[in-house]
Amino acid sequence: MSTRASPNDLVTYQGHYAGSVSRFIAYAIDLAVTTAAFSLGLAGISYGVHIVTGHQVSWNKSNAVVAVLFVVWQFLYFGYSWAVSGRTFGMMVLGIRVVRADGMPAEPRRGVVRALVFPLSFLLFGLGFLGILVQREHRALHDLIAGTVVIYAWDARAARLRFLARQAELTADDVASPTPTPGVSSAG
Amino acid sequence: MTDPAETLAQQVTERVIDLLVSALDINELASLVDLNALLGRVDLNALVARVDLDAVLNKVDVNALLARVDLTALLDRVDLNALVDRVDLNALVDRVDVNALVGRVDMDALVQDTDLGAVIARSTGGVGSDVLDAARSQTVGLDQFVDRWVQRLLRRKHPGPGIPPALLSPSATVTSAQAAS
Repeated sequence: MSTRASPNDLVTYQGHYAGSVSRFIAYAIDLAVTTAAFSLGLAGISYGVHIVTGHQVSWNKSNAVVAVLFVVWQFLYFGYSWAVSGRTFGMMVLGIRVVRADGMPAEPRRGVVRALVFPLSFLLFGLGFLGILVQREHRALHDLIAGTVVIYAWDARAARLRFLARQAELTADDVASPTPTPGVSSAG
Repeated sequence: MTDPAETLAQQVTERVIDLLVSALDINELASLVDLNALLGRVDLNALVARVDLDAVLNKVDVNALLARVDLTALLDRVDLNALVDRVDLNALVDRVDVNALVGRVDMDALVQDTDLGAVIARSTGGVGSDVLDAARSQTVGLDQFVDRWVQRLLRRKHPGPGIPPALLSPSATVTSAQAAS
């Protein structure tokens, strides 16, 4: 069974509720990006402190300050992204977007509320995320509270045209330089 | 009762008139009449006003009339450039629904069968967009795969709306996608 959607199907799915795999991968990308950026930030601060004071600062994962800073940074990243554009970097890569439950663009306050209640979905072993799998509109707990849904919002029509254009170009290349038939000598 | 003398006089008169008319050369008489002067005294407008033109036209076989017209010769005599110069093309174009017209264009065939495909491929088909298209189509396929299995496990026969109400119209979907891209 093929798990790859054809370009025709993609146009059909445009605007539909995004599924669990897209959302999980988008979150994984965001987590990797935010963690890398946070680590870089901490390294930059350490370097700055070392330059100015001469002391070596080491950050411990179990340090409460680091944990709080990380949570605040996560909130700022997700809250700002959802409030301003309805999508994070990971969602942009996967072509999904947060909108209001009725499909209209989400107001900034919804983005902020979504980021604030997002940790609730992690409680009870991530039970809040189960809605993405079983709920008809693929809404997690934080979606239900913030009144949002996640949809496929990338320009599937343009992607389909690009696909057709590539096909047309490949066909043209084949016609321009046909592959020599094995066993047929051009010397006659 | 009529007087016998009067009856006789009438019969004589009729006979005389008959003899006179048979003796006259009408053509000769008509040649003596100045028809231009006569027509000058006729009010043609008043005459035409008394004619029922609709009734006359109803009797005319227009198709037979047009069949006798040499349209090629007629068009040869028409200065089409002068005619087109008199047409207000802007007003004409304003009346055309361009969106409906473009909607009837088969974009797939246009891209596949013309050089437009190569232009699009070269202008937008970078490595990045190719990778993104492939990754997105792959994840959409996986989403549908997982969703089908969940629906099967939950024994759901009606999977749900699939799309938010505001995005049900195609134009709204496109707008949403354009806003997101």
